[in-house]
Amino acid sequence: MSRRASTSFFSLRRILIVAQSTVTQLVRMKVFYFLAPVALLFVGIQFFDLIWYQGAETLEPEQELRMHKNICLGTMMVFSSMFGIVATALLIPGDIEDRTLYTILCKPVPRLDYLVGKLVGVVAVIFIAMVVMDVLLVTTLHFRTEGKLVEATQYMKKVGYPEVDLAAGRAEIAAHGPTLILQYGVMAHFLKASVIAAVALLISTFSTSTIFTIATSSMIWIIGSFQSVAREGLFNDPTSGGDPNMAERIVNTFVSLVFPDFKLFESIADGAVRAENVLQADMIQLGGLTAIYVGIYVVLSWFVFSDKEF
Amino acid sequence: MRRFKTTRNLVVIALVLAGTGYLRLPKEQRFMEDLRERKIAHPQIDPEIWSKMGQTSLAGTFGGLRSVMASFMSIGAFDHFENNDWYELEKDYEVITALDPYNSFYWDTAGWHLGWNAASWARRNQDFSRAKRRLFEMEFLEKGDAIYREGLKYNPASEDLWYEMGAMWSNEFKRPNLERAADAFKMLRNSRNPVYRRRYLFTIARIPGKEIEAYQEVMRLFTQNPDIHLLTPKFRVLLVILGSNPELPDGKLRPQIDPVFDSLEIAYRDLYNYWARIKFDSYYAGNYNLLMKQLIDKLNVPDSLNPFITEPKRPLYPKAWQTELEKRDRDASPQ
Repeated sequence: MSRRASTSFFSLRRILIVAQSTVTQLVRMKVFYFLAPVALLFVGIQFFDLIWYQGAETLEPEQELRMHKNICLGTMMVFSSMFGIVATALLIPGDIEDRTLYTILCKPVPRLDYLVGKLVGVVAVIFIAMVVMDVLLVTTLHFRTEGKLVEATQYMKKVGYPEVDLAAGRAEIAAHGPTLILQYGVMAHFLKASVIAAVALLISTFSTSTIFTIATSSMIWIIGSFQSVAREGLFNDPTSGGDPNMAERIVNTFVSLVFPDFKLFESIADGAVRAENVLQADMIQLGGLTAIYVGIYVVLSWFVFSDKEF
Repeated sequence: MRRFKTTRNLVVIALVLAGTGYLRLPKEQRFMEDLRERKIAHPQIDPEIWSKMGQTSLAGTFGGLRSVMASFMSIGAFDHFENNDWYELEKDYEVITALDPYNSFYWDTAGWHLGWNAASWARRNQDFSRAKRRLFEMEFLEKGDAIYREGLKYNPASEDLWYEMGAMWSNEFKRPNLERAADAFKMLRNSRNPVYRRRYLFTIARIPGKEIEAYQEVMRLFTQNPDIHLLTPKFRVLLVILGSNPELPDGKLRPQIDPVFDSLEIAYRDLYNYWARIKFDSYYAGNYNLLMKQLIDKLNVPDSLNPFITEPKRPLYPKAWQTELEKRDRDASPQ
């Protein structure tokens, strides 16, 4: 009587093992060395006085803090998105090239587990890098905010702010420091990078070259940033430029349906930089949207990868 | 077979993406509208602005770096200011403010460049005829005003924009339009910043026919927070001068020198400095002459500090006051 070994459809343990090996693989590629120039930048802008701030610094401390956050979050966004594309694009072809893929797939590892594991590994590395950058951001911003608070308090006392107004003024400046809302901005960039990584995963399953995967994923990243322009063309009455013609409608529909909307992620991050009232509910909605995007791209990747011949 | 598979895969991918896209589209749109309504998301960029963007800013904008691009562009625009290239500067700021409209600082800076710097440049440019100088100056002042107003549409809570607009129209080195300045400063009457709060009073005290309103304003501020406002010399003087208006209805409080000023010397110094305000900035004079003459008699002020004999050339600071009094005493003492 032969006993057939059964392999479960989906195993979290297997996924974690693949993810762990992916993290090791990426760490060996020395990806974290990138953090050294990032650290230098984050600390460097601390001492960078912009010419158009001269004289107005005490009056507009929020502006300087906003600039600090803009540069740091911008760097985090570029790093995480680019890393999401490049790392994912390199992994499957890399596994084929050094024949690791054959040793994995000849074992009872379903292809879905392999794909999810790879994606989780990339996302984990992005997460670690984001945490390190976030710590740097929070630390440098904390010191800068404290400095600005001292300057602004001196000014407010000098011109005679009453105690109540002085406290309110200080609170306004402190809102531009390291807050929970700022963390929402960092999180939005992380979620965006996860979606981009999932897009790159899908493309790498049917692409025959790494360059094609990187180029196509980058284009989707860019198109995703103005997908909302196309979508709003479908939902709203045109305010300028007249009614869109048939060709424009077709393009708008295609772009809106097929591409992800990265503007939502960017808007949350921008709002966080401006210390707007970004709510927990917004983050839940954004997280849900990310899960939907990633889910769709993973399922499609699995569909393509499941019967791929090597 | 392989080609068939690829085509099949691409068709399936397109269909699934389109199908799920159809389902998620209304939700995404609602989410974006909600974010936009709460001013978390930026408004869409006008098609006209796209055409004015350079390649770098376009790439940055598409890459999701809208605010960062605005920051860097504003640094770059400083070159246009240094080269007096005002129309290029204006074009750049149209893009900058479109990229990050909820940042009042860019509107403020754009208004400052055009309404202040460009207008001054036009006023002093000796290459232009007098008429052209005036024409250009007015054009830039109006541009500055328009930028402040546009910025206020996006940032209605920005006190700086109202303040800069008012300061531009009340600046004596430009073409003061006190009515327009007062309209702007009126929005700051309840500002947290006492400097901003007083500017409406200081402006209407210069407009003939608004003396009663200025009196009401000075009393409002005085009642709200006497300790803070009485630290300002001009405020102390206005409290007494506006209260001396003979057209004030009977029964109104008319603040006198003694309770307002800590000493007669301080009262004299403040009133002496107010002389230039009356002469050059058209501040309300009230019973200035009478008050000054009374103080001159009481304090035995030397001729060098008597504005009716020696025209003031500079503000009277405590040290100069002390020196002149010592000189007077020396001259008066028997040899």
